[in-house]
Amino acid sequence: MSGSTQTFEYARGGAGLGQTPPGPLDPSVARAPRDADDPLHGEHMQLNMGPQHPATHGVLRLKLELDGETMLKIEPEVGYLHRGKEKTCESLGWAKFFPHTDRLDYVQPLMNNVGYALALEQLAGIQVPERGQVIRVLLMELSRIAAHLIYLGTSAIDQGAVTMFFNTFKVREDIYTILDAYTGHRMNNTYVRIGGVFADVDPGVEALVRDFLARMPAEIDGFEALLSGNRIWFDRNRNVGVLSKEQALAWSLTGPNLRGSGVEFDLRKAQPYCGYEQYDFEIPIGTLGDCYDRYLVRIEEMRQSARIATQALERLSSSHGGEFLAEDRRYVLPPKDKVHTSMEELIFQFKIVTDLRLPAGEAYHAIESSKGELGFYVVSDGSSKPLRCHIRAPGLMNVQAIPPLAEGRLLSDMVALIGSLDFVMGEVDR
Amino acid sequence: MVIVKRKELSLAERLYLPEVFRALSITFRAIFKKKVTRQYPEERLVTTAVTRGQPRLVLLDDNQHLACVSCGLCEIACPAYAITIDGAETERCIEREPKRFEIDMLRCILCGFCEEACPKDAIFMSDELELADFSRAALIYDIEKLKRPRAALQPRIDYFYGANDRWRKRSSTS
Repeated sequence: MSGSTQTFEYARGGAGLGQTPPGPLDPSVARAPRDADDPLHGEHMQLNMGPQHPATHGVLRLKLELDGETMLKIEPEVGYLHRGKEKTCESLGWAKFFPHTDRLDYVQPLMNNVGYALALEQLAGIQVPERGQVIRVLLMELSRIAAHLIYLGTSAIDQGAVTMFFNTFKVREDIYTILDAYTGHRMNNTYVRIGGVFADVDPGVEALVRDFLARMPAEIDGFEALLSGNRIWFDRNRNVGVLSKEQALAWSLTGPNLRGSGVEFDLRKAQPYCGYEQYDFEIPIGTLGDCYDRYLVRIEEMRQSARIATQALERLSSSHGGEFLAEDRRYVLPPKDKVHTSMEELIFQFKIVTDLRLPAGEAYHAIESSKGELGFYVVSDGSSKPLRCHIRAPGLMNVQAIPPLAEGRLLSDMVALIGSLDFVMGEVDR
Repeated sequence: MVIVKRKELSLAERLYLPEVFRALSITFRAIFKKKVTRQYPEERLVTTAVTRGQPRLVLLDDNQHLACVSCGLCEIACPAYAITIDGAETERCIEREPKRFEIDMLRCILCGFCEEACPKDAIFMSDELELADFSRAALIYDIEKLKRPRAALQPRIDYFYGANDRWRKRSSTS
């Protein structure tokens, strides 16, 4: 916990990081041509976009100052979905927080589960068995595809392409059917535990996954056939919200938004976890960093995710009968049949449920979620409740990037921009 | 690393109208595909043993008494504080039984932690999913509404034991 005194300097407005985020882009590039004859020109208008606006993807409120249709000042206001998840974690205890992580970024619950579990495992020093890691990778990559499909569907319907919404949600439904068959729930899976996953997956579902992964590339081609050469999609996304490499780094954007600007950074490659170093996949990056590049990056990422999932499925089918939950009686519940027959196991059962303690110390573990770097920072004082749990939500950084990207542009560009930055308010507000 | 290809519009795409018809042909082809919509109340989702529905209490083989001994582990494990147990003494050999066992179904999030925590196989997630009533009070389920014969929950119990068959390699403390 040393060094905590320095971190507050940035919050006080000092140049703690030695770098101030840059302002809007070069006006000659970013600004839309202003029509001098526009009768609306001249008088500034205040406009509230959200918190109930369907295009803001949740309860984001944007305070806009408009001159005609040109946005002059944008002030995002977050917090409408604040439920105090970090504080809840500190009062609930270590294991009971898992269902709450589901509800952070609710389009990819399994990814949040794994992120939190990895932080706790790092703190406790638990090694997850091979099969447990493979199950996690498979479910995470399926979740990533589902999350990107929601991005694609919602940003397309916001820009008028209603067909896309139904097409993507149809495919997403297939993924949710698989997750239902694996975990028991379509959403809010709560499937991951400290040390592995809750239960071994059903081998009978593998045929379903194989069938889905075989269909997936054709489905993505279908989405591209409808959007990539679509002139409306082209006009509304090309050169809109151009995020330079430097800007993206300065605003600490991660994930597809950063990669769309041409920075090759993916935590699955940079800091492999769950055995990602054993999988063969590529990181797609963009060149210009506009909404269209971010769209292309996500499309390619879905293809790569399908590739990883195919490899994970092979490993899964070759590791039947392997351990999926670490054998560690300090943190993991013993199997039920042993609880019935052994006094010691019964004591462990009671001990872990009532008073699960993690060793004193701190741990930060980040995973590459569909939105970017999703990090969990946990501090333990050795008791059964976390001293501090901080969630580094990538969505919050994505929201921060709205004002510099939207300034000087037309109001209708905002919809494309919000869609392409892709955040979920459950995670932003926590 | 793979750099994504930014495509440029062809003449046909710039003309827009031919593309409209191409897109419509893609869209209209869906008419002849299999319908994916489910007519919900008539056509229900298939539930399996994996489905984590609402928690239910298991009756002993005599179909009268609960397997529960009111140890309170599920109450502690519940992240939503949905379970309330009052224990009482009993003449039966297990010595304790719940006098009151209530699950507030409005709070329950179906996470399954109670099922994992129970050391007596007394609570399991059923495949019952639908939950609707006219008052909040009616949705606080008591023993009468929660109890199920063991046979009704047997698929889930079998699944739970089958999928949790682990730690076989080394000899354990037992």
